[in-house]
Amino acid sequence: MWNFKDSAAHLYRQYELITCINMFEPWEKKLINGIVLLMFVLLIFSSCVYLPSYMDSLLEVIRPAAGSTKVEDLTYVPQRISSM
Amino acid sequence: MGNVDDDGATFQQNYVKCSNGTAKASTPISNGHIPNHSVEQWRDEQQEEQHNDQEQELQLLLNKQLKFSAPAYTEIRTRTGGLKLKGVNEGSYHPEKQAEANGYVSQTGSKCDKFKPSRADGVLSAEQEHYQKTSFEDVPLHTACLTYLGFYLLMILGYINQLLFVPKVATEKGREGYVTLYDAFESFYSRYVYRRVRDCWNRPICSVPGDELVLKDRVTDDYGWSFRFTGTETRCLNLGSYNYLGFAAATGTCADESEQRARQKGLAYCSPRSELGNTQLHIDLERLTARYLGVEDAIVFGMGFATNALNLPSLLGPNCLVVSDEKNHASIILGLRLSGATTRVFKHNNMRDLERVLRNGICYGNPKNGGKPWNKIMILVEGIFSMEGSIVRLPEIIALKKKYKAYLYLDEAHSIGSMGPTGRGVVEYFGADPNDVDILMGTFTKSFGSAGGYIAGSKKLIDFLRTNSHAHCYASSISPPIVQQIYTSMSIIMGEDNTDTGRNKVQQLARNTRYFRRRLAQMGVITYGHEDSPVVPMLVYLFSKIGAVIRTLTTRHIAVVGAGFPATPIMEGRIRFCLSAAHTKEQLDYALDVIDDVSENLGLKYSRKSRDPQPIEY
Repeated sequence: MWNFKDSAAHLYRQYELITCINMFEPWEKKLINGIVLLMFVLLIFSSCVYLPSYMDSLLEVIRPAAGSTKVEDLTYVPQRISSM
Repeated sequence: MGNVDDDGATFQQNYVKCSNGTAKASTPISNGHIPNHSVEQWRDEQQEEQHNDQEQELQLLLNKQLKFSAPAYTEIRTRTGGLKLKGVNEGSYHPEKQAEANGYVSQTGSKCDKFKPSRADGVLSAEQEHYQKTSFEDVPLHTACLTYLGFYLLMILGYINQLLFVPKVATEKGREGYVTLYDAFESFYSRYVYRRVRDCWNRPICSVPGDELVLKDRVTDDYGWSFRFTGTETRCLNLGSYNYLGFAAATGTCADESEQRARQKGLAYCSPRSELGNTQLHIDLERLTARYLGVEDAIVFGMGFATNALNLPSLLGPNCLVVSDEKNHASIILGLRLSGATTRVFKHNNMRDLERVLRNGICYGNPKNGGKPWNKIMILVEGIFSMEGSIVRLPEIIALKKKYKAYLYLDEAHSIGSMGPTGRGVVEYFGADPNDVDILMGTFTKSFGSAGGYIAGSKKLIDFLRTNSHAHCYASSISPPIVQQIYTSMSIIMGEDNTDTGRNKVQQLARNTRYFRRRLAQMGVITYGHEDSPVVPMLVYLFSKIGAVIRTLTTRHIAVVGAGFPATPIMEGRIRFCLSAAHTKEQLDYALDVIDDVSENLGLKYSRKSRDPQPIEY
């Protein structure tokens, strides 16, 4: 538990140094932290919502024969390279 | 040996107490003004005395403690709480070394003969040895990216801040329609980037900057726009002064003789050398300087910066070519601009590039003058480069200078006194002939603990300067106590006081330097420069880390100097340690242990070199 706390503190300190947060005024800190948090949340959201279907279509492109039957079920149909 | 010996014995107790003091005292900040013995001890001693008296004095002491232990750096956010700082004794690098008795300097000033020269000394050729001892490790790629990221953030937020709030600075009234007098970006930079860490620079001190100094604490309530003094003081180990040989001391021969001279001759002559300011003292000092450097003649000036900035224009003219190292000091660059000579820059300490520039200069002549040959060509280098901590490759430069018939101007501002077996600068360090260097320049500000500069060389050169130099004709002459300080310290270095003090100091400095640099390398931080140079830049790269390191070290009672963007490239923020003969091994050990802790906590151990597993011998 303590180890985890220490390493978390260390990580946060590194983050503070890298983004120069330790030099900023409080409102600037909130701004930077807010922007970073927003980016992070967007990343998580998009990777949960869009990534699975993207991966499927990527698989489709790499191995067209294997997953050809599933194409009709998907809402997002990628452009076939062969059809171009 | 003046202050070298005085504080050595008491030092360790003090610092141990300071760092363990967090348990007893309420604040981590204590300082040198708390008496050495603890309050309990003090109470025991006082028990015999009258009760009334005791209470009264205890109250006084408490008041004093309260006054001097106010939390000076709490409002400037320092992260003592978050950092996992170890104590001095636990987990230090070499626990067995701590148990050893006070190492090098004993009370009598004699030294033990354990100084071990480097393994590379005298084995390899001069060129290879220099190469092996010099290190300029590349920055790791991710650190480079993060440094730029940090700067972008600083800039963007600075602009937003400037847009939203009116800066708390004085503005000129009644100047509508005028072009701004001050450079816009410069003022932006100092207001929104430098201001955030302004508490780390220009810190006022209130003692002699010897091996230790006393900082006057100040706090800021508005994020660096303004400061106010708290009335407290912090005693710190001084790793920031150019006090190479430890002659900056309030006691000792130098101080006594200077004081005596001030009483005899007053404080200033208020007149230039060529008028009424010339005395036997100055003539003696010039003779001694010439003898010290082993050249025909020397001339001294009252200001080191002006020695470069005002003498270069009298030596150089518009039809001259100057080949200058890219890391040369601002005074040299100013002098070159004033002279109007054509300046070509070569890569730092790169002999191949120097030869290329020289050859091109000779082949193509002066392009502004239709390709006619130059009047003179001068190579301009420094002995020790103060920001890089590297040493000039003098033997190769002398060879090149002879090959291409150029003049050589060597600025020994940092190296004079601190290099070579008897402190005669890089010329002695490389075993070169001082007459091979045409113009030897140096300052008295650093090693001699005084102020001023000199130029030494042939009689002809010095006579020319006496008639032509602006610094000689118009600037007022050096003040008598200062001349005396230089004279005394120089004769001590030369051994003319019939003691070993000077020689011991030079050797102590060499030993401190090597020990400090090797321990730093062992820790895995990146240091720049040559193994034997007493200026040790430690690279921290990120701008925010400069401030963090300086603040954290201040809370652990170590005063250091940081250097950031305008003084260095954006990439290379650094902390610069300057070693001194006044430091003892115990002081250096304390400093190194703290630096080890701090660099672990702040992530400064960038080096990817293999580390020496053996304990470093002092």
